[in-house]
Amino acid sequence: MRDATLWAAGAALAFLLTAGAFLVLANLATGPATEDLPATPARGKPGPPLDLDLNRDRLDSLKPAPDQELLLTVENSGGRDFSNVNLTLEASSGDTANPNARYYRQTLRNLKSGEDVEVRFLLDLSKTAEASPPPTAPDETSEIIEIRATTPEGVSVVRTAILPL
Amino acid sequence: MRCSPPRSLLVAACATACAAVLLAGCVHPTEGGPIQPLPPAEGRVNPGLGPDARPLSSGPGYKGSPSWSPGGDRVAFIVDGYVVDRTVDGEQLTRWTTKDFVAAEAEWTADGSLTMLGGAGAVEGRPGAVYRTDPKEEGSLGVEEILEGVLAMAPGPERKDVVVALEMGPDESGLSLLRAGQMERIYTGTVQGTVTGASTSPDGDRVALAVRPAGDGSSHELHVFDLRTGEARKISEIQDGRGILGAPQWTDRGIYFVAGALSPPGDDGEPLYNLYRTAPEPGEPEPAPGVGEDFVAGGARVSPDGDRLAVVGRLNPKSPLNLYVLDLQTGSLDAVTTNEDMEIKTGPDDLAWSPAGTSVAIVARGASSGEPEVRAATAEELLDAFYNLYEIPITTPEPPGAPR
Repeated sequence: MRDATLWAAGAALAFLLTAGAFLVLANLATGPATEDLPATPARGKPGPPLDLDLNRDRLDSLKPAPDQELLLTVENSGGRDFSNVNLTLEASSGDTANPNARYYRQTLRNLKSGEDVEVRFLLDLSKTAEASPPPTAPDETSEIIEIRATTPEGVSVVRTAILPL
Repeated sequence: MRCSPPRSLLVAACATACAAVLLAGCVHPTEGGPIQPLPPAEGRVNPGLGPDARPLSSGPGYKGSPSWSPGGDRVAFIVDGYVVDRTVDGEQLTRWTTKDFVAAEAEWTADGSLTMLGGAGAVEGRPGAVYRTDPKEEGSLGVEEILEGVLAMAPGPERKDVVVALEMGPDESGLSLLRAGQMERIYTGTVQGTVTGASTSPDGDRVALAVRPAGDGSSHELHVFDLRTGEARKISEIQDGRGILGAPQWTDRGIYFVAGALSPPGDDGEPLYNLYRTAPEPGEPEPAPGVGEDFVAGGARVSPDGDRLAVVGRLNPKSPLNLYVLDLQTGSLDAVTTNEDMEIKTGPDDLAWSPAGTSVAIVARGASSGEPEVRAATAEELLDAFYNLYEIPITTPEPPGAPR
């Protein structure tokens, strides 16, 4: 009777240890890898782990005036947290002879995986008087907003908005 | 008797577990998995001008007046009024003037310098000044003013000389010849009216001039100025309120020019210009043979060998803008772009032949929706969002029996 009990206990322990080992193996070998892979490639390209979303309605509301509020969404769609996301924004005229570029900067702390955060910039989009108009200038003028997001981990993304202001 | 199987089973189980743990330890952790960067060419879309079109510039800026260097390895152009050039096979950009310079036209000359017509006057239809860069001072942004009161300029054969039309008085123009930045000759003979465009003959002996007569709002006279005798004469006049667009083009087969109504007759806001040809003798211009009676022309440029004409235009008012090459000997008209939603500039100075006659540079951008756009690239990388230069290769069909 005692031998049978020892046999049963030993077999159960062996089963549990083996099963546990395989569980550890399964978790280490497969679990995190699927999370770290880039998003499903679109047309052969991997999805970015960091994304910037500029909503068209938000851009439509911008005027050639000071104190224009630009809202953009920073999204961590990758599998890792970002300790910092540095955002730099350059607003410049579509007329490259106009030196009046404006620069803005913000830093997001600890953007977790799967999290998206809305960031607000207050921009000066007012027109400056041009000393001499460019020859044969097109009818429309544009304002260019270039936004770059970078992380200490080396992830970066850039978006350029062209506004017909 | 003691039974040993449980003990051995326990040892076996422990060994299996240890092996499993060791095996698990051999698997590489997935920390630091691949993070794909954005492709550097993101945003560089097909320019929509056909598979052979190649961009020569990128990024923002209103560009125009391309001019190939004599060696064909660089292309100069105007961006928002200032003058730059770019290597054709690379991306090395050289700025030649300060950004507040206001250039209306830039032409490369045989000595490696750029001759520029500029100043606020030139932009507003009044006389400007001719400036010249020093090829030894590349990147210095220093330019030398050569002449004031310049109405128009045209490079001579092989770009050795530059012919400039000068304002001599109210409704009177004169001509002068520049070589290597020096005044080579001033002609005493004058032209009655204001010269608005000039083109030298293939032999360099004469100049075709578009002239705005006194008291008229448009240039509707063609004159020929003989550089050997210094005499000018009117050879043709355009009637019905039409005006000549840009400079006439002196070819092996006569003088070609674009003319049309300055005010649009239709509601679409686009003037309808036609391509004409005339002999360099007094006579009546005729519609250019080969293009068809519905052809709407924009800018036109004669090839370096004088036997072809590059024209930006439409086969009919409803068809898309494209770059066409007219073979002046055979009269065949070939589209060399396949425009897909691109706006090609139709200005008289917005196209240029390469020195070998194997390419034409044009200026185009994607059709603007008038709505905000967001692109996944830096502004400097973008092509179709702004007016940019494109090289369009031109293939010349070999004549029958020509050696390969």
